[in-house]
Amino acid sequence: MKNFNKIIIGGLLLVATLSSCKKDEEDPIIPNEEEVITTLKYTLTPSTGGTPVVLTFQDLDGDGGNAPTITGGTINANTSYTGAIELLNETESPAEDITAEVAEEDDEHQLFFEPSASDISVAYTDMDDDGNPIGLATTLTTMAASTGTIKITLRHEPAKSAAGVSAGDITNAGGETDIEVTFSLDVQ
Amino acid sequence: MFNRFLIYILLIFLPVLTFSQTCNSTISGFIKDLSTGKPISYANIYLKEAQKGTSSDSVGFFEIEAVCNGNLHINVSHIGCELQQLFFTISGDTTITVFLDHNSHILNEFEIEDEGGKSTTQETQSINSKTIGENSDKDLATMLENISGVSTIRNGSGIAKPIVHGLYGTRLTILNNGVAQSGQQWGVDHSPEIDPLVANRITVIKGVGALEYQGSSLGSVILIEPNKIDNEPHLHGEARYSFESNGLGNGLNLELQQYGKYFAWRVVGTLKKNGDNKTPSYFLRNTGSQQANLAIQIEKQWNTKWSSDLYFSSFNADIGVLRGAHVGNLTDLQQAFEREEPFYTEDKFSYEISPPYQKVNHHLLKFHTKYSLSDRQWIDFTYAGQYNLRKEFDVRRGGRSEIPALSLEQFSNFFEGKYTSFFSKSLELKTGVQMNLVDNMNLPETGILPLIPNYSSIETGFFGLLSKKYEKTTWELGGRYDYENRKVVAISAEVPRYIERSENYYQNISTLLGVTNEFHKNWKLSYNIGYTSRNPEVNELYSNGLHQGVSGIEEGQPNLTRETSIKNTISIKGSVKEKWFFEGLFYNQNIKDYIFMKPQDEIRLTIRGAFPVFKYEQTNAMLTGFDLASTYQASERFTITAKYSYLYGRDQTNELPLIYMPANSLFTELIYEIPEVGKFQNVGFTVNGKYVFKQTNLLASQDFVAAPEAYFLLGLKFSAEKQLKKLKLNFYLRAENVLNTTYRDYLNRQRYFADDLGINLVAGVNVKF
Repeated sequence: MKNFNKIIIGGLLLVATLSSCKKDEEDPIIPNEEEVITTLKYTLTPSTGGTPVVLTFQDLDGDGGNAPTITGGTINANTSYTGAIELLNETESPAEDITAEVAEEDDEHQLFFEPSASDISVAYTDMDDDGNPIGLATTLTTMAASTGTIKITLRHEPAKSAAGVSAGDITNAGGETDIEVTFSLDVQ
Repeated sequence: MFNRFLIYILLIFLPVLTFSQTCNSTISGFIKDLSTGKPISYANIYLKEAQKGTSSDSVGFFEIEAVCNGNLHINVSHIGCELQQLFFTISGDTTITVFLDHNSHILNEFEIEDEGGKSTTQETQSINSKTIGENSDKDLATMLENISGVSTIRNGSGIAKPIVHGLYGTRLTILNNGVAQSGQQWGVDHSPEIDPLVANRITVIKGVGALEYQGSSLGSVILIEPNKIDNEPHLHGEARYSFESNGLGNGLNLELQQYGKYFAWRVVGTLKKNGDNKTPSYFLRNTGSQQANLAIQIEKQWNTKWSSDLYFSSFNADIGVLRGAHVGNLTDLQQAFEREEPFYTEDKFSYEISPPYQKVNHHLLKFHTKYSLSDRQWIDFTYAGQYNLRKEFDVRRGGRSEIPALSLEQFSNFFEGKYTSFFSKSLELKTGVQMNLVDNMNLPETGILPLIPNYSSIETGFFGLLSKKYEKTTWELGGRYDYENRKVVAISAEVPRYIERSENYYQNISTLLGVTNEFHKNWKLSYNIGYTSRNPEVNELYSNGLHQGVSGIEEGQPNLTRETSIKNTISIKGSVKEKWFFEGLFYNQNIKDYIFMKPQDEIRLTIRGAFPVFKYEQTNAMLTGFDLASTYQASERFTITAKYSYLYGRDQTNELPLIYMPANSLFTELIYEIPEVGKFQNVGFTVNGKYVFKQTNLLASQDFVAAPEAYFLLGLKFSAEKQLKKLKLNFYLRAENVLNTTYRDYLNRQRYFADDLGINLVAGVNVKF
């Protein structure tokens, strides 16, 4: 009995010693968040030439913290614009170009453009190897003047062959939303 | 601890010496009920060496003549009872009395938990190895579902956690062979990493039975226990195979054991694989899973006073998550819910597991030694080391799907010294000291900010339990104290990122008082009251970020305090004329500072869209309910059982229902059994029905979508046994959701995306040798 008590007490002391000697946790490695998208830019260049209009969504500190900055724009009626999407991860320096990553996996990605005004239409001008649209390059055409918004959505692994999807209708696309931003867009 | 073997069988040896010759001995005896002592008729007795058998008559008597002297293995089986294998050497006419645990068959609720002669005031219910064997295709939580008051919270068919009386996760302690399972129990989609097939018995202690065990339990405890190795010098074992039609699942389990010359050993291995499960109308893509588990048990009796045992178990699983359940934001979730079929549904079956999926490994090494100071006093020492590795893979961009999105590693080391003493036959004291060291780390491979921070904790505690039996009343009194020191190292949510260190201290006191009175022959009334507490878990304090599965931003609160609970239970159980059995358990639990996720008024705009924000907050909660179970044995062959569970959960501060509470359910079962049909024994037919009510104790604003409607599931089962020379075969066929009902369950998080499982046919064979 005495011996066993000694063993138990000894054992517990040993543990206590071991645990007190145990050095503090090391600093965790701060991960390199390569996948984060902080910034979306939709640059609209008039096909007739002129100053491009840039719609920008920027959230440098991720989901929490400060609210994102959203910059809408004003474009001209009855005009055709060349649209280009640029995606950036600005938590890194220099900023990482996510556009290239999307372009590389073009069959797994598609952008959708949903203007609130029916007088704005967006057409895809790029396609993946299967002949389906991607949406990094577009043409935006305006007719009558209006005030409203445009919603831009990037879906990962959408069903591009589902009904209407390649024409830009998001309804049957499915997949996972990587980006969903809304800009104010006025047509004058 | 008494030899477990003795709990089930009390073998009384009365060898009557006659003239010893080779093959003229007679084996005779009686088969009796362990709890009542009444004779059991129609039990099958089979002598393996002689390859002959008989069955017991109306007074439980049997006799087999012309048996050769020497070593003899005897199998005793009876409908629903666990097969008993006895071994002894005979040298003449022998009379034996075998006690079978027959009541466990009548109602698992009625098993006697009298380990070491201790009578407990706790409400315990268990499932035995026969039930485990005939449900070998199921996971731990699903196996427990048929115990009243126990339900499961799941994420598809592959991920399931048990809930007892409305509590789960870190509020419920699961003990694997006496060691509290240590891992990422905080996650609703993290199922316990335990293979139930290594166990011979799984017990649920309702009420407050946990004071002996370290852990964060606020009440109930689940014990997964392998038996002690039978004292039997020959190699024995059991092989189990099962096939499931839904998911084309195959399961293989092999158990070998021997009480060897130098030590006793048992090895159990399990291999399981299934592919995409199917609802009544479509396949659930990527819901396959695979498992490979191993357990090794070694026991050594050094001398009459000193014994040791070593236990190692390894659980390794890959579990697919429904592809269509992987959504980006609320729009996706809303769309997924409005669809008939989930996105990515394919019309062909596949075994493939691709992201999203979980890869889990859990290893346990336990060393236990016991030294008896006398027949009435002993000391136990236990060391247990656990290693848990959890990797969760998501669908990611840029070829990163191969890199886990969550990668957590946990080491834990547990030490325990325990002293048990019977001061008299009716007064028992159990006391002990425990220490548990946990080290939890995020592996930096993910490229994602971790969901929970790294931490290490040391928890030291001691307990004392006293039980006293006086005439027909048993009293139980217990207390425990724990001190926890937790060091947390987190990465800041703000940018630029920096390291934040914090340290938490907690002191917890738990107390328990219980009393049981046998107020009438075969009727017992018990009352228990327990005060327990639980420290806030790391995820509740520090989690920060988007929870993709539920499309919400979850925020921890570092200033949460511990939860304290008072739980009262009253139970009554008994039987009338060994025909009608009844059990009722009523409980009320008040949890002060109950931690839950509260939806905030804020909708946060991110680049992926707008997300609702949830914060961990505290309230005063009340859980109250009852479990009723009753069995009527209409005849020797026909038994009917009914069980009903009711639970009501309320957030008393905010006057709201508590979310994620199991809906009420009703289960009935009709069993018809025939002792012998041709060459088969113990042939049984079962029809059962489970009705799960709609969870109406919920406001529409508390969930993204309304709670699913009530549903009814019909099940059928057929089983039979056959003695084939030295092999005892047990066949079963089971059909689940026979009507192929389309339904969704409130506690299955996959319900946002897809229907639950359709019809499933299971065929299995267990061979005991």
